[in-house]
Amino acid sequence: MQNLHSRRRFLAGLSAAGAAGLVGSSQPANAEPPPETMTVRLPWSFRGVCEAPKNVAGELLRAEGFTDVRYIEPPMTADWSVLVANGEVDFNVDFPPGHIMAIEAGLPVKVLAGLHSGCLELIANDSVRGIADLKGKRVGVFSSTSTPHMLVTIMTAYVGLDPAKDIQWIVNPDVSAPQLFNEGKIDAFLGAPPEPQEQRALKFGHTILNTTLDTPWSQHFCCMLSANADYVEKYPVATKRAMRAMLKAADLCASDPELVARLSVEGKFTDNYDYALEGLREARFDRWREYDPEDTMRFYALRMHEVGFIKSSPNAIIERGTDWRFVNELRRELKT
Amino acid sequence: MLAWPWPGLAHEAGHDERLPVIGPAPPFTLTSQDGKPVSLGDFLGKAVAVTFIFASCADTCPMLTDKMARVQDRLGDAFGKSIAFVSITVDPERDTPEVLKQYAEAFGADPAGWYFLTGSPEAIGDVLSRYGIYAKKTPSSDVDHTFLTSLIDSTGMLRVQYLGVRFDLEEFRSDLLGLVDESGKD
Repeated sequence: MQNLHSRRRFLAGLSAAGAAGLVGSSQPANAEPPPETMTVRLPWSFRGVCEAPKNVAGELLRAEGFTDVRYIEPPMTADWSVLVANGEVDFNVDFPPGHIMAIEAGLPVKVLAGLHSGCLELIANDSVRGIADLKGKRVGVFSSTSTPHMLVTIMTAYVGLDPAKDIQWIVNPDVSAPQLFNEGKIDAFLGAPPEPQEQRALKFGHTILNTTLDTPWSQHFCCMLSANADYVEKYPVATKRAMRAMLKAADLCASDPELVARLSVEGKFTDNYDYALEGLREARFDRWREYDPEDTMRFYALRMHEVGFIKSSPNAIIERGTDWRFVNELRRELKT
Repeated sequence: MLAWPWPGLAHEAGHDERLPVIGPAPPFTLTSQDGKPVSLGDFLGKAVAVTFIFASCADTCPMLTDKMARVQDRLGDAFGKSIAFVSITVDPERDTPEVLKQYAEAFGADPAGWYFLTGSPEAIGDVLSRYGIYAKKTPSSDVDHTFLTSLIDSTGMLRVQYLGVRFDLEEFRSDLLGLVDESGKD
């Protein structure tokens, strides 16, 4: 699981000069004004190709009028939701459970849109044929409070296991779960691209759950975009413009994964073009218009409530921590 | 609104709901396939579709240009009179006005309403960044670039953007005609 939560330096954002210009016509009252702030700060991170839209959006952000696009490298141990809540970065991409835990904790974050569905694979050795077979097995996670731990807990509870008692959690923050798996020290782990692709290349292990293909996971967003609540409130135009750039980048992942894979390699997100391309092709970056992000939040909040991760009801989580105004408008503005 | 059978393409588009207003479209002044200067301001009063291609592209650009040619053919009298297409090259070093003229003719582009524009690399680069287009030469002298088609209304406002090349032709045509209808009502 190293790649899910490791921090890699994003060396080269897309460069471009100039902000969006204005044509000489008068501006109708309903036209979108320039962003209220010229600055947007994003985490300098690579936790899998799922984050590609955020990472390749630099030029698109500049075209939206942001003259100061910053990728902030967070400390190794940082909780990203806290960084967003503290205003150290403005936007973040994370799995729904990560966002929900932040909202549950009362952090001032707003989930704004889903970016893609699918991409996670629960990979197991030959002793495990399905999720129910994980009873008594060793599942590797890098931390007992990590999103992979939450996701596997939810997945196993969904098929009737008691994750706390039935799963033998192997927590190792120093060695990646794929490495532990390949050394025979664990029986299963949850992989994010490029880990499943690397595993397939090794011909070791098999997938027992694929969130791109297997319901109900495939019917919901995998990664979702969030922002600092104060940023959203103070800078609604900037919020929408930044979202437009990142959703265009998500569309680019769907329409031209080869280009995004090349950019991901050039940007030092990953060093393996083939795995990046495979991961981009397998994840569904074409879903942000059609899936309902509120459904995803409700689904995961319900599952997390059931297993005791949160006390708040799904409706309370949605009310406190989501804002769909912008994505609803952008659905109408950006077509494919 | 013109109507004709176009099976298999349409999904619900309709003119009953106005397109959103994103904001003023980024301006440009470039050179047409006829060697004449063309500015976005020249199209005030018309609905405009602005897209980005290059003439020696062997894969996706021809698909987009062919798609637009089919829409052109189905716009009837409105094309040129109240609707214009603008295809801006992402390869200004090779796409001279002469090259673009040949390209336009190869696709049956009506010069009364379809402008293929080039300019200095600096001028093209400026337009690309203003529209948020990524374009980069590859070692094989090809150009990696993104596909974005922007619809601009008769007052110069950017109204909707189509990403990629797989968009619905009927919806695209309907949006253009919707902008024409709007300008007649305003």
